[in-house]
Amino acid sequence: MATLRLDGIRKRYPNGMTALHGIDLSVADGELIVVVGPSGCGKSTLLRILAGLEPITAGELAINGRRVNELEPAARDIAMVFQNYALYPHMSVAGNMAYALKNRGTPKDEIRRRVANTAALLGLDDLLERRPRQLSGGQRQRVAMGRAIIREPQVFLFDEPLSNLDAKLRVQMRLEIRRLQKRLGITSVYVTHDQVEAMTLADRLVVMNGGHVEQCGTPMALYARPATRFVASFLGSPAMNFLPVTAHAGGVVLPNGAQVALPAILPEGDAATLGIRPEHLVEATASEEAAATLDVTVEMLEPLGADTLAYTRLPGVETWLVVRLDGAHAAREGQRLSLALPVAHCHVFDARGARVPMTGREDAEALAAQ
Amino acid sequence: MSAPFQHHRVTPWLLMAPQLAIVLVFFFWPSLQAIEQAFYVEDAFGLSREFAGLANFQAVLSDATYYQALGTTLVFSLAVALGAMSIALGLAVMADRVVRGARGYRTLLIWPYAVAPAVAGVLWLFLFDPTLGLVSGALGHLGIAWDHKLDGAQALALVIMASIWKQMSYNFVFFLAALQAVPKSLLEAAVIDRAGPWRRFWTITFPLLSPTAFFLLVMNCVYAFFETFGTIDTVTAGGPGGATTTLVYKVYQDGFVGQDMGASAAQSVLLMALVGGLTWVQFRYLERRVQY
Repeated sequence: MATLRLDGIRKRYPNGMTALHGIDLSVADGELIVVVGPSGCGKSTLLRILAGLEPITAGELAINGRRVNELEPAARDIAMVFQNYALYPHMSVAGNMAYALKNRGTPKDEIRRRVANTAALLGLDDLLERRPRQLSGGQRQRVAMGRAIIREPQVFLFDEPLSNLDAKLRVQMRLEIRRLQKRLGITSVYVTHDQVEAMTLADRLVVMNGGHVEQCGTPMALYARPATRFVASFLGSPAMNFLPVTAHAGGVVLPNGAQVALPAILPEGDAATLGIRPEHLVEATASEEAAATLDVTVEMLEPLGADTLAYTRLPGVETWLVVRLDGAHAAREGQRLSLALPVAHCHVFDARGARVPMTGREDAEALAAQ
Repeated sequence: MSAPFQHHRVTPWLLMAPQLAIVLVFFFWPSLQAIEQAFYVEDAFGLSREFAGLANFQAVLSDATYYQALGTTLVFSLAVALGAMSIALGLAVMADRVVRGARGYRTLLIWPYAVAPAVAGVLWLFLFDPTLGLVSGALGHLGIAWDHKLDGAQALALVIMASIWKQMSYNFVFFLAALQAVPKSLLEAAVIDRAGPWRRFWTITFPLLSPTAFFLLVMNCVYAFFETFGTIDTVTAGGPGGATTTLVYKVYQDGFVGQDMGASAAQSVLLMALVGGLTWVQFRYLERRVQY
């Protein structure tokens, strides 16, 4: 049971590289925070700092309100699941799980009891005498989890724990981690570069880029109102469409001259980006309140079963416009489609990539949520 | 496509031929000759010989100096193998931690391996020379009378030191490579699992080095048994009073100095059997414990 507080955490390596430029974050008791970002964004460094494996250059890290900057990893009462699991190859599964308890001088009877309990929780009962090399990837993953759980730590740290598993196992273990974390109620920080994993696991999501936190919030809040163009592009699959536009009275103008009516608050003539998710582009009907109607040509189709992704092109615009159509849609390549841009789902980002506010938008969404 | 590989029945043999020839000429042939010779009695000039059955073995096994040499060899080999391995491990652990100038230290530590055994022997001989030596002089000031030409125990200690110094570098290279192959994340996991540095070394690092340590144990035993000949010959020539005569040195002494070819051959057959047996025991009982 623990809370975490990060206050202006900075990390600068001796070679002059700055990995973290001041991270502020509060984690509530029992919360599962997922830190997501592309490789090199500093998310692993952040996790290693929490674990105490890297010293902090500046700022303060507190667990349960107590400053732990100077504490050794052993004294922080945290457990970590490593990307390659880092199982001790010369110890059995039971030995791997018992190692931390032995180091703490836990009585033998209690070690045996706790190993048995943890093994039962993770379905490892029959594997206790095996060596790590005799286990499958999924089983190793479970042992790594067991080694963390058995200590009943204050905080769990996960460093891309599923990235070495195949796609099917990844989905299964994802659910299992979520279930275990909720059941044990242990405060957790989970690092991944996989946005699906991030969306599905997180109570709150932290999107990082270049050593900064881009945005922090619930997965759905970040999906619905990305604060930056980076967050918008990182979350959601297939990725959001971006069109270069110019600000104009009453909206923005596409490169081909088409007008999009939006209440975006942006000085006239400024360059900006219009973002719209593939699932929010719909075929134009008279009833929809549309910011604009775009006539596009279907160039390629990707049938996924439930949905079909249509790669379309807008005359005079270079980038693709990806549209998610119903799987039963009878679209053909070369066909022309008339697409509506729903005002509520249009995002505008300024030249620096920051979200441009729109008059009445937050109110409208708050209303829709009720 | 397959044309270059059509002669695949002959090509591998051709490629192996040089190595096979060397092994046959320099190992199997002399070994077989030694085995043959062990059953004959030969005159000192090699002009005539006579089949003697097991008489050579009987003579060797009832000779008290043979057992003395066996005892010396066991003490010597054990001390050299353990000394060279533990010092090398200690140095490798320290070299592994060094960040600045690591390459320089490593090169310096590997150097002794490039020194010929006889040269290494002479080096130590000078250092410990009873009248001229730097170390023996210093020991004299401390009240220790050093004269390995008179004191058998000191002579044995000297050849052990020289042999350890020579073999340490070899062990160092292997231990350092093995240390660097230990995944960093394992040690980090152990740090988080509350293992202190000492415990981390003995419960994580050392077990992971055990395959290397086992390999080195076999190599060091073979080294101590056979390859220390040059060092012993230059430093003590087996003396004083046979105190540093190991089995391999006795083979040389009886055969090439004493001209008793039959006894020498019988000893080398016994020595081969001893080292073969020792290696077998090591593989049988130790290797099973070091696998993971």
